[in-house]
Amino acid sequence: MKNKETKSIVLKGKNYKIPPGGTLGLLALGNIGVRAWKESREKYIADNKQKEDEKK
Amino acid sequence: MKKNKVLLIGWDSADWKIIDKLMAEGKMPAIKGLISEGVRGKIATLDPPLSPMLWTSMATGVRPFKHGVSGFVEHDGNGGIRPVSSYSRKVKAIWNMLTIEGYKSNIIGWWPSNPVENINGCMVSNLYHQEKKGGESLDVNDWPVEEGMVYPSELADKIKDLRVHPLEISLNLISPFVPDVVKLGKQEDNNLMVISKYLAHATTVHATATELMETTEWDFTAVYHDALDHFSHAYMKYHPPLRDHIDKDEYELYKDVVEGAYIYHDMMLERMLSMIDKDTTVIIVSDHGFHSDHLRPVTIPQVPSGPAVEHSPYGIFVAKGPQIKKGEQIFGASILDLTPTLLSIMDLPVGKDMDGKPLIDIFNFDKQINYIDSWENIDKFGGDFVIPDHQAEVNNEAALQQLVDLGYIDDLSLEKSDKADQIKGIIKENNFYIAKSLASANFNDEALEILLEIEDKAKPDYRILTDIINCSVKTNRFALAEEYIRFVRQSNIILDTYIDLWDAKVQIGQNNPIEGIELLNKALSANPDTIEMLLDLGKVYNAIHYKDEAIDCFNRVLKIDHENAYAYYGRGIAFLRSGEYNLAVEEFLNAIDRLYHFPVAHLHLGETLALMKEYEAAIDTLELVRTMIPRVPKIYRWLLDLYEIVGNEAKIQEYQQIVEKSQLGTKIIISGLPGGKLEEAFDFLEKNNVNIGSSRELFSTQKVNISDQHWVSQLKGDINYVPIQYFASLNALHSYRFLYIKDTIEEVMKFWNKQQRIKEATFNPDSFETFKKTEERTMTWFSQQPNIDIYYINETEKLLDFI
Repeated sequence: MKNKETKSIVLKGKNYKIPPGGTLGLLALGNIGVRAWKESREKYIADNKQKEDEKK
Repeated sequence: MKKNKVLLIGWDSADWKIIDKLMAEGKMPAIKGLISEGVRGKIATLDPPLSPMLWTSMATGVRPFKHGVSGFVEHDGNGGIRPVSSYSRKVKAIWNMLTIEGYKSNIIGWWPSNPVENINGCMVSNLYHQEKKGGESLDVNDWPVEEGMVYPSELADKIKDLRVHPLEISLNLISPFVPDVVKLGKQEDNNLMVISKYLAHATTVHATATELMETTEWDFTAVYHDALDHFSHAYMKYHPPLRDHIDKDEYELYKDVVEGAYIYHDMMLERMLSMIDKDTTVIIVSDHGFHSDHLRPVTIPQVPSGPAVEHSPYGIFVAKGPQIKKGEQIFGASILDLTPTLLSIMDLPVGKDMDGKPLIDIFNFDKQINYIDSWENIDKFGGDFVIPDHQAEVNNEAALQQLVDLGYIDDLSLEKSDKADQIKGIIKENNFYIAKSLASANFNDEALEILLEIEDKAKPDYRILTDIINCSVKTNRFALAEEYIRFVRQSNIILDTYIDLWDAKVQIGQNNPIEGIELLNKALSANPDTIEMLLDLGKVYNAIHYKDEAIDCFNRVLKIDHENAYAYYGRGIAFLRSGEYNLAVEEFLNAIDRLYHFPVAHLHLGETLALMKEYEAAIDTLELVRTMIPRVPKIYRWLLDLYEIVGNEAKIQEYQQIVEKSQLGTKIIISGLPGGKLEEAFDFLEKNNVNIGSSRELFSTQKVNISDQHWVSQLKGDINYVPIQYFASLNALHSYRFLYIKDTIEEVMKFWNKQQRIKEATFNPDSFETFKKTEERTMTWFSQQPNIDIYYINETEKLLDFI
């Protein structure tokens, strides 16, 4: 999966980027990191699918 | 009353050697910060160093032969095999104790904790993150949470999406572990699949733990990570520096994996620390360490649990919190101490039946510890197993496969082989581990009983045979040891070198030191730089008071490993035996500097200080030994003697009570150089109808060479003859009154000449020297024993005054 950044989350003043491929830093955030990563990945997949559909 | 909150983080096999290096490089800032605000120390593991047994000891405070968890797998009671489960645990775990006391706990991933228990709080089992069915990976979208994995069960729906499947791990997530990952396709390299799996498992455990910490009320959260152990078993061989037998290309690819795993654990720690307040105590602990340097084994024994040879005997312990000292090191911790320490932090009583002790040195005030006889006697609800309606075979198989992959258990090939035989094999293996656990706690008789029961000469297992011989030697059953030594020599399953080593110990135990030394030298000539053999040879020389030879052996060890605490200790013993107390103290301190949890070195240091009349220092040292090994009666006798000398009445009373409670009564020992006076004493006692328990024939056989000395520690009668060379085998739980028959060496030699029909006046300088040395050693031994009174008898007729 291409590691394209989509959004970020801020935790205790630190800014964590959420690329759809994830980062180790994101996973290390535990519950919030895993949730944010999975959401980002789903959104990326859905966006790509939409683009593919539009192309068709 | 406000409850003291604790976060406990378990990192299986975490080792200071790697952590210290990474902290120095600024790569583990979270644990570094924790240490600077708290205490750190080494924590001693148990033998055998097998994780399910160890983590259960940590959660219960008792050794494996008491808690019942005895290996990686177990019989499921239905003709099948399953990963070791919480059903095997026979005693209460910390979460049961906390439930009894109304504390709320979150327990995540503890090994073993499947099925979960309906405790006050939440529990997620160690099988929860498994994603395989046998060798096949389950689909990410069809990955059920089985019954018995989560309590309360409704929690499963809330947390299941936090699980991370190995197939979800993308290459960019692996790149911190394998920087050249782009050179390899994920599907092409099994190593990358392995890294994905360990990373996914660690992340699932962490995400679950953080979710529970954030969304539940809790007093105690305990989270266990197995990933460092798994990463280390798979990749420590590639950890720098490169060793000769490692493939250079593979080394370049995987040399960063272990370091990456440690850094990731620090990152997870940082997040957890951000979730707690300053009133929460944090503890990080590992069950053992992992060799990461020149001590890494080149080969792994091809036996069940063979990879455990990679484990090192000391794990890590870190604690920080409002009750904990700042910036200090603690010493002498054992993994058995974890539960007593947790209970103490939470102001709950410690069970007197626990094998561990609270680590009182971590507290920044004089912590009062409360005790109860046993948590097992408390008949209140502490949590029951959540028994699934059906066996969760999916995850059992996955967990079994993982244990096979790690090399901890044999490939079970469940479908093909005979299950009954497999189950027998597993029961035997688990009994072997229990025997090892007993032997490591010095219950050698009990260990030997199990070992002899499971041993099968038709299918010889070198590990069992090794332990039978070791336990036989330790319990002075030399005939039994010789029987098994003969067997292993014939069956050709163990290297001759090791057999010679055991044979040497048997010969020495049977008072044949010259034969013993010959065998040791033979073994050593085949392996000249073997530390274990040099230490053994040094010990033997010490045992027979050959000081120079002993010191030479220990010096040779120190040339190979300058930090070897046992070599310094051996030199200390050599100086102690020769009465050079100042040098002995120096060497014992050298040993302790290198290995603080070395109770016997502290004990001999205390004894030496007592012999030097440094009474206060001796008391301090022996009081410390008492906390390290509280069940050794000799320490209490020494302390009683010392408090009597310094006149501390309160302590005299305290120790008098302990000594009286523990001792088995006083026995009279008649002994002396084997000459005419001793024979005269036997005749006199017989004439006066005094019954001598152990036979005087031991004396009249002229050459004392007994194949089994076990009787020495189990003397039956109240009055016994014990040859002087066997004094060290006397049971320390008795007090002894020695009636030492004085005879001159010249008279003894004349007596022996007569016995051997040699001209009475013949003078043999070698014999003279031997008798002289024997008597000198006996006098030294007498001076070093706290539990004996000695009466020197010059006139046989006066014997009755002392009986």
